[in-house]
Amino acid sequence: MSSSPVWALGVCAGLHAAGSRHVVYVPDNPLSHVLKVLREKYPDVTTTIATREEEAFGIAAGLYLGGMRPTVMLQSSGLGNSINALTSLFVPYQIPALIVVSMRGDAHEWNAAQVPMGRAVASICDAIEIPHVTVGAPESTADTVALVGRTAFGTRRAGACLLPRRITVPPVGAGA
Amino acid sequence: MTRMTRLEATHAVTGWATPSTAIVASLGHPAYDLFAAGDRDANFYTWGSMGLASSIGLGLAMAQPDRRIVVLDGDGSLLMNLGSLATIGWVRPPNLVVIVWDNALYGTTGGQDTATAHGADLAAAAQALGITTVETASSPDDLKRALARVDAEPGPWVIVAKVDENAPASKPPLDCAFIKQRFMAAIGTPESSTQGTTADVRPA
Repeated sequence: MSSSPVWALGVCAGLHAAGSRHVVYVPDNPLSHVLKVLREKYPDVTTTIATREEEAFGIAAGLYLGGMRPTVMLQSSGLGNSINALTSLFVPYQIPALIVVSMRGDAHEWNAAQVPMGRAVASICDAIEIPHVTVGAPESTADTVALVGRTAFGTRRAGACLLPRRITVPPVGAGA
Repeated sequence: MTRMTRLEATHAVTGWATPSTAIVASLGHPAYDLFAAGDRDANFYTWGSMGLASSIGLGLAMAQPDRRIVVLDGDGSLLMNLGSLATIGWVRPPNLVVIVWDNALYGTTGGQDTATAHGADLAAAAQALGITTVETASSPDDLKRALARVDAEPGPWVIVAKVDENAPASKPPLDCAFIKQRFMAAIGTPESSTQGTTADVRPA
């Protein structure tokens, strides 16, 4: 438990504070820390794994219609798989979700195949009217996630919280 | 054997559904026929997000385990999101009923063949992906029997209904936010933003 990174504890505290009790996700490596914290510390949060990010958003829409406040967790690469769900379901129906994105392709990336989508994430969110906030430091993760979630559910607009790789995969010697 | 059109089959489902049943319809002809067979507040019509009707139904079924959730999907739409069957087969919500109108063509886009016209078997796919309660219906009597089984045994159910295409003559409301708000109010989860408030609203 004590080995869980501050940012992962913050994601869980933040989504819980925003009233989310169901997380639908497609896993990636850093997000496994979040899933571990949820398992160990948040027994009231249900998690559902989807086969694909677009499917995760469909499940999340159903959860919202049924009275829940869904969180969708995905890697930035999966945002590309989600665009039609966001633009033809979430935006026109004004269905909110807290979206937590584990970034690839930003600073500290090693895989060139991750770079184009990672670089495009913010522009794509802007183009499809999904507000997004990038977490600035591990210690501010909880507040940022909670703020994005509360704003999303309060305004009935899906909102994204981007977790940069310099936080989720800190360089050796960087701490946290 | 007597064939049935999708509209006739949709009438059979809406006649079987109870007032508390929530019905999610895939975009295009399945949604148009649901509206024609009987518009009701607890109908959720999708206007986009092809393939996601069964996923929306899964989310609803998890959020409201005491309510029957019926999905009216199409063969082309389900083929776009087959992974949904694997997730449903894993989560196994007993209150979810996915009905697939299998006309072996993309009816809304001009009648191009789907893979089910060339050997793809969606009922077998559902079983292979972990769903054990599966029925195939090719006639009104088959469909009636399948729905009676749904009443008798917990799901998740997948019913693949072989239907003939028909030209829809009506369309559901176009306003997506209206569809959502009406649906949520009907299933007991009205959005607070639609309710107004009696709280003190003077500026602090």
